[in-house]
Amino acid sequence: MPAWGLELVRVGAIAPAVLRQLREDLAVCLAHPVWVAEQELSVSDAFSSDRRQYSADQLLASLQSPPPAANVKRLGVADVDLYLPVFAHVLGSAQLNGTVGIASTHRLRPEFTGDPGNPHTLRLRILKEILHELGHTFGLVHCGLSWCVMSASLLPEHVDLKDPSYCTSCAETIGVPRDGILSFFLKGDTP
Amino acid sequence: MSQRIPRILIVDDELHVRESLTHWFSEDGYDVEAAGSGSEALGLLGRKPFDVIVSDIKMPKMDGLELLGRVREKDPHVAIILVTAYASVDTAVHALKEGAYDYLVKPFDPEELSRIVAKACEKVTLTKENAVLKSRLARSGPKIVTGASPEMGKVMELAEMVAPTDTSVLIRGESGTGKELVARLIHTRSQRAFGTIVAVNCGALSESLLESELFGHEKGAFTGAANRRKGKIELADGGTLFLDEIGEVSPKVQVELLRALEDRKITRLGGTQEIPVDFRLICATNRDLEKAVRDGDFRDDLFFRINVFSLTIPPLRDRPEDILPIAEHFLARYAGAMGRQARGFSPDVRDFLVRYPWPGNVRELANAIERALVVCRGAEIQREHLPIADAGGDEAADGDQSLSALEDKHIRRVLKQHGFNVTHAAKALGIDRVTLYNKMRKFGIERE
Repeated sequence: MPAWGLELVRVGAIAPAVLRQLREDLAVCLAHPVWVAEQELSVSDAFSSDRRQYSADQLLASLQSPPPAANVKRLGVADVDLYLPVFAHVLGSAQLNGTVGIASTHRLRPEFTGDPGNPHTLRLRILKEILHELGHTFGLVHCGLSWCVMSASLLPEHVDLKDPSYCTSCAETIGVPRDGILSFFLKGDTP
Repeated sequence: MSQRIPRILIVDDELHVRESLTHWFSEDGYDVEAAGSGSEALGLLGRKPFDVIVSDIKMPKMDGLELLGRVREKDPHVAIILVTAYASVDTAVHALKEGAYDYLVKPFDPEELSRIVAKACEKVTLTKENAVLKSRLARSGPKIVTGASPEMGKVMELAEMVAPTDTSVLIRGESGTGKELVARLIHTRSQRAFGTIVAVNCGALSESLLESELFGHEKGAFTGAANRRKGKIELADGGTLFLDEIGEVSPKVQVELLRALEDRKITRLGGTQEIPVDFRLICATNRDLEKAVRDGDFRDDLFFRINVFSLTIPPLRDRPEDILPIAEHFLARYAGAMGRQARGFSPDVRDFLVRYPWPGNVRELANAIERALVVCRGAEIQREHLPIADAGGDEAADGDQSLSALEDKHIRRVLKQHGFNVTHAAKALGIDRVTLYNKMRKFGIERE
């Protein structure tokens, strides 16, 4: 299995507990080193007063400075509403075949769609979003298998429909175990 | 058909929009390229085809609407989605009127953009597949061999003209002239080419059998109706119904057929449920239907229904310039299938073929060549290989030279050759048994 590691970066004011839980879940699913960076990223420069949202492009650029070490992918975890210039919103964004990506819990929270708050739902959704954006940094495009974490998900409800796991083909490309989800459930901590 | 990755072209003068959309569609697995202006987009389109173009409307020099018009001239299949940051109902209506696939206002809902582009790709793929299948279908239609005769050229021209319409067609012509082939040609060139053509020889079936064949029956409708069976009219739903020898249909079935044509509904024998049917009707006859109407043998209302567009295929003897090209076509076809060497006809055979009246028309000519090939081992078909006595030349010079007399003599001779076995004689003459029986009745020929 090729050696690589994943660095998580706290972006804005997201609760550190969310990052800690996410780091643990990712370590189980990926079987690769996952850690939380000491440095945090401020979101103020990425704020658009016109749109009252935060530019995902700008945050990606900031995450890249300084560039991560070789064989390290860097993914930001935010709690603000992200946008790309032509899109009303995005759940996350990443450099295709690059080193950095970002995902936000803002629209993944059940409360955003009027449902009662549920920390377990949010935990699983952000895990899947980060796995998805990580896949893009390895050059993976959207997968045709609806249960694969690399299938396209434009709404939080779509995220719920897929597993926190890659299909065989996607898993091979990244170099992670296919039974990541099995490990996740065997951990006895099913959300 | 190979599943190619759909190609998307992004056209926008703003770099960040081009980058965002390129990135977005690349993640979706599309093959994406971007252009900063309308002229650059046209340049790219000239080099390779795209399935979908996502273009901004407001751009310097050539705007999105002008680009839309220019692209339409080059590629009618490509789907163009126009986008703008300045929403206006007028622009949207104008864009759609000009042939844009859809219209979006920036910033887009990502789900909406992905859904629209996926649907556009699907539509373009289907349109292209449809065009390929249609052209394949047109090429796979029946091959009707004609020579240089203006009569047959006119028939083919009329068939091609009427084919794309849904008009009922009546094809007239003697037995063996190729009426069914023309019907099949009309079907394959029609809008119903993806449906089936269902052929029924009305002259070959008794009244009750034809009724059951056309309308189908429910289980237990009559003795022997062990199962429910769909009729030919029902089977032709969405396609073409070809009724050969329509002139032989009994008055009772004529009434039922007329009702089906008027109501576009049928009821199976023994059934109560009305079943809607949608088919194009092509009929064929070798009878003088106007006379049959005058004599009261054929309903005038049914005649008017089926005779909306009439085509008459001239008999082979009236277009001698077609005989040799058709004979050569059958020679090549049968020789290839039978593994024979023969590639041509001796001069006296060529002369005979043109002089012989061919009462069984093209079918008789095809049969004669097939049988000649069975016995011919050389490179040329010789006179002795042809199974037809030389009635077209020398004998016709004596006595009554009318075509009718010649046909009478020829039928008698062939019947005699086959010991008055009607099946064998009809096959040798290249006509069906019903036609032979009709001709025997006409000429007063009785079995010896």
